[in-house]
Amino acid sequence: MTIAETWEQFAQVVDMMFAEDPKRCRVTVSYQPAQGVLVLKVTNDHVTVKYKTEHAQDVKKLEKLTSQLMRQLVSK
Amino acid sequence: FLTELTKLFQKSKSSGTGTVRITMKQYDGQDRHRPRKNRQPRRRAGGSGSGDATSSGGGECGCLIRATLNSRKLSTVVHQKDVNRFQLAFSSLLKGNIDGLKKRDKKAAAAATAAASAAAKAKAKAS
Repeated sequence: MTIAETWEQFAQVVDMMFAEDPKRCRVTVSYQPAQGVLVLKVTNDHVTVKYKTEHAQDVKKLEKLTSQLMRQLVSK
Repeated sequence: FLTELTKLFQKSKSSGTGTVRITMKQYDGQDRHRPRKNRQPRRRAGGSGSGDATSSGGGECGCLIRATLNSRKLSTVVHQKDVNRFQLAFSSLLKGNIDGLKKRDKKAAAAATAAASAAAKAKAKAS
């Protein structure tokens, strides 16, 4: 399990994984209000990449990413 | 689904324990496992016993979305027709509820001061 350092890295990996095998790829978002942490995880059952953040600005980016992904998932 | 999700977030905030998890993946309408083609006398392995991977013929997939909090679970499938509407509502929901994260003080302050100084310079030039 790798941990992405920056959002750009994470976004790249997500795109790659999804392009390879959209059927096996899944994204998980988990929010822990107790610690004020947002964790994103993307996996295709072979490789997993995680991204952890505590910043409010990342929520916006998350939102963009998830909407983009959702569109792709539905269109394929 | 969305109203239940709002409730989930609110509950997690108030109770202060546990995390809210949201998961997304592609869904092709297959609810059960596909039976094996050759019935061999095997011991029952728990979990997935699906046979060879058959392609679902493309198109018309939905997006399966799950949300869970401690022991409570929700899920829904979003089809192409509902995508736009759902997405709008979903994103505003996330934005509204995922608060309590830190704000980038230094960077925001630096950006603000940079913007202010740039504006001041422009004004000085104009006058």
